[in-house]
Amino acid sequence: MLKGFPTISKEEQTRITTVVVRVAAMLLEYGAESRLIEQLSSRLGVALGCTSIEISLIPSAIVLTTLIGDSSVTTTRRAHEQPINMSIVHQIVTICIAAEQNPRDIMMVETKLANIHSNPYPAWVIIPMIGLSCAAFSHLQGADWAGVCITFLAASVGMIVRRELSSRNYSLLIVFAFTAFVCTMVASLSFYHGFSSTGSIVLSSSVLLLVPGFPYINSMLDAFKGYISMGWGRWTQATLLTLMSSLGIMLAMGLLDIKGW
Amino acid sequence: MMLWVTLLLNSLWAAIPAVGFGMIFNVPRSALPLCAVGGAFTYGFREVLMYNHLSIELSTFIAATAIGIIGVFWSRRYAMPRPVYTVPSIIPIIPGTYAYEMMISLVSMNSDGVTDALLSSFIQNGLHAVSILFAIAFGLVLPSMYYTKRQKPII
Repeated sequence: MLKGFPTISKEEQTRITTVVVRVAAMLLEYGAESRLIEQLSSRLGVALGCTSIEISLIPSAIVLTTLIGDSSVTTTRRAHEQPINMSIVHQIVTICIAAEQNPRDIMMVETKLANIHSNPYPAWVIIPMIGLSCAAFSHLQGADWAGVCITFLAASVGMIVRRELSSRNYSLLIVFAFTAFVCTMVASLSFYHGFSSTGSIVLSSSVLLLVPGFPYINSMLDAFKGYISMGWGRWTQATLLTLMSSLGIMLAMGLLDIKGW
Repeated sequence: MMLWVTLLLNSLWAAIPAVGFGMIFNVPRSALPLCAVGGAFTYGFREVLMYNHLSIELSTFIAATAIGIIGVFWSRRYAMPRPVYTVPSIIPIIPGTYAYEMMISLVSMNSDGVTDALLSSFIQNGLHAVSILFAIAFGLVLPSMYYTKRQKPII
């Protein structure tokens, strides 16, 4: 056994492994970048008494091995698709720092992990805020004030649709396509009797709430930091989301017979 | 003088999407003001650079590097991972419209047949979107590439 550490039984090592892989899987599900996942889980493992942690990531699963002396425990977890939640990632970072300050306190880590809460923003804050965001985009691209108002309306309705569909556990791809469809339908109001003279800007900026910014940025960050396969996986996901939103836009434009942006 | 006022107003407008998208990503409440500051700063800085006749890619790269470096200081101070601040801050400069336009010309090439206009719109918008995205990502990565030389993690 390692010098300076009391012996750790196999059961205890399994318990440590379960905690660490749970942390890694949560980080992957809620949208942390690969470097952060690897760093945090190995820091947590070392704080709990492991010699080292070896981790292998693919976009949908995690394989993780804890090494203590010469005994090793390996486990695999599947990561399920979840909406991105930086609040949970932040709480996990806090837990990891706390674990480093009190080494080998697995009870504390387990209770804190069980108490993680997602604290989402209430609907009456987030819906008008997203409407305002897209309105700001259309203003920055030079829409007139009637156009800005229609963008606000379209993006707010889109956000309501997106929240409702997400809470019914539809696939993210379906949610994006349908939301883009509804947004474009509402935004096409700007062509009604020439209500706004900048209709194409309204159309393009009312769907900007669907830009998959986090997957794109995460994929680039992963690829640059040496996690090539994770980068490709996330890039594919982001491209698929963009493609599905475009299909929703195309469907609405085809139905209403609008030509061009 | 008038120009600076317009620039300031536009930066304030750009702070709104940063906060809004921060809410979609569910960043902690205490980080929202920093996201707003970051969004306004990134957009304003890029506008200033573009006004000085730099290309959009180069200005985007410099602005993203700046917010990446600022993010390192913020994340040390408030013990939060950097994407919490940096990703909402670069949302106002993400090439969303280019990406959509590229995809739409791709889909309409399939339905209406390949024309020169559609093909050039596809290639041009696609190149714009990818190069701006590269500029953003490389700018955000640069600070952490510096910090990996020292073995200690940032937070």
